[in-house]
Amino acid sequence: MVAGVAAGVARHLSLPVGAVRIAFVVAALGGGAGLVLYIWLWALVPSWEQPPPTPAATGVASSIAAGGSAGTLPGPHGVASPAGVPGRVPPAPVSTAHPVPVPAPGRRSSTRIGDLVVGGMLLAGGLTVLGSQIGWQVSLGATLPLFVVLGGAALVYTQLDEVQGTRWALSGPSGRGAALRVGLGLLLVLGGVLLAVIGSTDVAYAGRVLAAVAAMLGGVLLVLAPWGIRFWRDLGLERDARARESERADIAAHLHDSVLQTLALIQRSSDDPAMVTRLARTQERELRSWLYGGRTRTADGADRKASRLHERVDEVAEDVEDLHGVAIDVVVVGDRDLDERGEALIAALREAMVNAVRHAGAPVMVYVEALPDAVEAFVRDRGPGFEVGEVPADRHGVRESIIGRMRRYGGTAAVRSVRGEGTEVRLSMPDATGESREDRGDGRGDGRQDGTQEREVVR
Amino acid sequence: MSIRLVLVDDHAMVRSGVRTELGAAADIEVVGEAADVPSAIERVHALRPDVVLLDVHLPGGTVRPGGKEVLQRCAELISADPEQSPVRFLALSVSDAAEDVIAVIRSGARGYVTKTISGPDLAAAVRRVAEGDAVFSPRLAGFVLDAFGSGAGEVASVDDELDRLSAREREVMRLIARGYAYKEVARELFISIKTVETHVSAVLRKLQLSNRNELTRWAADRRLL
Repeated sequence: MVAGVAAGVARHLSLPVGAVRIAFVVAALGGGAGLVLYIWLWALVPSWEQPPPTPAATGVASSIAAGGSAGTLPGPHGVASPAGVPGRVPPAPVSTAHPVPVPAPGRRSSTRIGDLVVGGMLLAGGLTVLGSQIGWQVSLGATLPLFVVLGGAALVYTQLDEVQGTRWALSGPSGRGAALRVGLGLLLVLGGVLLAVIGSTDVAYAGRVLAAVAAMLGGVLLVLAPWGIRFWRDLGLERDARARESERADIAAHLHDSVLQTLALIQRSSDDPAMVTRLARTQERELRSWLYGGRTRTADGADRKASRLHERVDEVAEDVEDLHGVAIDVVVVGDRDLDERGEALIAALREAMVNAVRHAGAPVMVYVEALPDAVEAFVRDRGPGFEVGEVPADRHGVRESIIGRMRRYGGTAAVRSVRGEGTEVRLSMPDATGESREDRGDGRGDGRQDGTQEREVVR
Repeated sequence: MSIRLVLVDDHAMVRSGVRTELGAAADIEVVGEAADVPSAIERVHALRPDVVLLDVHLPGGTVRPGGKEVLQRCAELISADPEQSPVRFLALSVSDAAEDVIAVIRSGARGYVTKTISGPDLAAAVRRVAEGDAVFSPRLAGFVLDAFGSGAGEVASVDDELDRLSAREREVMRLIARGYAYKEVARELFISIKTVETHVSAVLRKLQLSNRNELTRWAADRRLL
């Protein structure tokens, strides 16, 4: 009637519930055997709606039960009897004992009810003390320890129930709270026992008893320790395995979302070489950034605007690659934050890249270096080259987007093209206070050769 | 005399692809292949090739990356031996991780090229390595510039000659990073190709021998080239 044990046994043995209950009551009256049996059954037999025990340790109770009576007995669906029996109160009082497995609200709710029991016990203890103070005829020595012990036990059991539900996950905020409460409950029980012992005997005797009890507890701990350690180690191993498993699942999911999808797309568009190149290149980039970490550029990174030089150059190069399906090799040395002058350089760089992939094709090489006082960028291709002087005046690509833009922000741009060898666009954007790089006299860039058309546009 | 080459890569597809591409070069002969660390060490010792094309990531070893272990266990073949010509290693990889690059170069590889390199370029790189020169791809040159600090201000604070690049070496590295071939670098700087090769070899030596600890830390911090 209390925890649905009778109903469970009745269902298991196919007997009427009433008969089982009567048998329990009779056995309980005749020496208390029924009561003991009842409590053991309640503690060891898994309840009906308890989740099926997972391979590894689910908790002490269920693993012992699995050895004994690995049955699926109906759970605590008995009628609630508020008779003050400690600890176990049915999670949800169902009107009558019903052997049909009703999806119970779960064990979690028992915690709250358990808390109520704990509170009630402690309150009762307090009232007893109060009553004895105002001359109520209560035997303080007998009742106070009882209430304290019962309250502590209730606290421990409800917590164990709770923890069991979360697979003994004693880490994390809720796990720590549970451990704290279990400890508190044990302390209460211990305190109650102490009260009982000290209250009924003299102090010297109590001391000896306590020493004996401590020795015994120590012995028990010693015996149980290996088992406990192994239990925890198994638990740790299992958790590691699960972590690895989920990592592998992550990788599999990622590969599926990215690589396999791309491979499928490539198969479908195998007659379009440009498309295939573009898909493969995009996928390669994505996989690289995923594998080698660093910058987390994923699909949602598209709207995010980077402000560092390195990221921006990569971003722009990827855009151009995607648009034209030509691979661009990017080498960036150093890094720095970008101001609006830097953005102007990036814009000009992009235009230079677009020109290179459009007129020359792969390979296009981009080199960007952040110097202490300037940013320099080079775009080189190995295309047919062109006569810089012969570019019609109405062609805005080079003249406006690259040279004009760089000049407006105080930078320089130069285009150098050799017929049959390729073209190189050089961009230099000095810092706002710095002077132009041409004054540094590092002997670079003035190597005018035969057949070379070079034009330094702005100085 | 043709260049005898051993191909080490765990992917058969890559090996056959490289074989095909190098097939166009009459002076390069692929004499052996290996797919993992132990067999690579065994093959290299048995065949004593002129050049080993070495993938950086190889299975079967105890050191990561696997290419580093092959280099370490073949160290006595790399060092100059008056009796026999040394075996030279050229790393070939898709890996972009700076730690991998620095690991194989510092273990004795004479160069590092990525698998996107074209067939003729790869053949040229093999020839260059066979002659004892270093092969720097634009990416590796950028890596060197970054690792040794491209800023002029940083150079003054370092006294050890191994720990910094000379102005000329820096110039050569910058041009290579910009995609210039060695002969274009030579023309650009009005120096001979031989001088360019000397500079590049000097940079490689610094990269291998410098105990500048920023180098390693830099590579670890900066996982992407």
